[in-house]
Amino acid sequence: MIIDPLDRPLPGASLHPTLTGDAYTDPEVFRAEQASIFETMWNCVLRADALPSPGHWRTVQVGREEIIVVRSRSAGIRAYYNVCAHRGMRVCTGYEGVSRKLQCGYHAWTYTLEGDLAAAPNLTSMPDVDREDYGLRPVHVREWLGYVWVSLADEPPNFDQEVLGEVRTRFGEVESIDNYGIDRLRVAESKTYDVGANWKLIIENFMECYHCATIHPELTEVIPEFADGLASQRAGGAVHGSGFGQDVAGFTVDGSESGLSELPSIAPDQERRYYAITVKPQVFINTVPDHVIVHRMTPISPERTVVECDWLFAAEVVDRVESGELDVARSVELFHRVNLQDFEACELTQPSMSSKAYKGGGALVPSEHHIGEFHEWWRRTLR
Amino acid sequence: MQVAFRACSVQDLTAGEGLRIDSVSPPIAVFLTEEGSVHAVDDTCTHQDASLAAGWVEDCRVECPLHESTFSLLSGAVDQPPAKRPVRVHHVTLHGDDVLVELSQEAPNLPPGMGTV
Repeated sequence: MIIDPLDRPLPGASLHPTLTGDAYTDPEVFRAEQASIFETMWNCVLRADALPSPGHWRTVQVGREEIIVVRSRSAGIRAYYNVCAHRGMRVCTGYEGVSRKLQCGYHAWTYTLEGDLAAAPNLTSMPDVDREDYGLRPVHVREWLGYVWVSLADEPPNFDQEVLGEVRTRFGEVESIDNYGIDRLRVAESKTYDVGANWKLIIENFMECYHCATIHPELTEVIPEFADGLASQRAGGAVHGSGFGQDVAGFTVDGSESGLSELPSIAPDQERRYYAITVKPQVFINTVPDHVIVHRMTPISPERTVVECDWLFAAEVVDRVESGELDVARSVELFHRVNLQDFEACELTQPSMSSKAYKGGGALVPSEHHIGEFHEWWRRTLR
Repeated sequence: MQVAFRACSVQDLTAGEGLRIDSVSPPIAVFLTEEGSVHAVDDTCTHQDASLAAGWVEDCRVECPLHESTFSLLSGAVDQPPAKRPVRVHHVTLHGDDVLVELSQEAPNLPPGMGTV
């Protein structure tokens, strides 16, 4: 596994190094990332309202593990390894369901929604079996921004410091992300992209806008300043509100009026601006005055990453969309195109990561230098 | 004449749930329905050794926690396989908070391997 940093360029040098090609292809590197990053840190896994009432469950992948996320009767949303405590079969099979118990289909070991062993054949004649010890093994759960976040670590990182603190600090006091009321928004549209690229290529793409003028014509029409190559994310983790063009009426595919009101509590500095942040290791949050776009990534292999993208609007907007009174298709289409354009670029980059020509890596121009901070973090975390 | 015994107190019961009483053999399960009625049946499913007290109560029936047979708390009758035989129903009277149970004199329908205790 080669993750040693390359030598820094001389001060004043325009180009900084990237990671070397093998960081994006080596199965050993990927295994280390799964263990030290995705199976340790907080992962955003699904919208909490996807589990509307007790008994609704979903299975999600976190690192190399499959996790059941379920709304319990008495303890809110809980999450467990999808592994029967008896002989290990998958307890929940399939993607989602509703049931009043979680039951393994092999020997019928049956768990409550709170994860305790409730019943099993002959269990009454095994009174020494502890119902909690032989329950489903739980993982840590938090809810924030209306999403369920899980950590598989025995002792998870401090959520308030590592996630909330970082995001709040970067958005700043006034431009607080809280102003968007993301926890109260609802999903109007959700798309899943199966991307043939390493997860780090997707993060690096998201962090810079040097590519925007080349591959995102619609986005650059709406936010002309992106043509200067500077992204909303800047050095030191700072976030810059990128302004809409003068003639642009809304954050839509053609810059026309969205027909939607601004979210009620945004600050004046958040009007007619786009903000974007990366919440390491797998979430992007994009905010515009009338909606919020959240990406969450699941790395599948060194060369494959599933990205789920939600478009969140005010609850009353979603009600009107559902009743056919309102259409948010032009708003959704803008970032859907951005996604397709970005992911195509990442997929066309991935094969080169194993090329002899990229063995030593490539270059970061000044408007991309802050990607080096991500690389520093990555080296530190894998060390 | 059969004498009723005190199985538990109503205070020991939770609406919609069962309580296994294993001081008698075979054990029985006492249920308090959401509607407030108290019932007692044999605790062991007639299909496989499972405690009905750990099952789910709805509409005066209990669903075995393991498979999907449900038993009437009024008659003991089973609605669907895999169980085929009914459970016994025991007569319940309330004396204050005391749940008094008069055990059925019928032979129990125990699952394979549980015939004699």
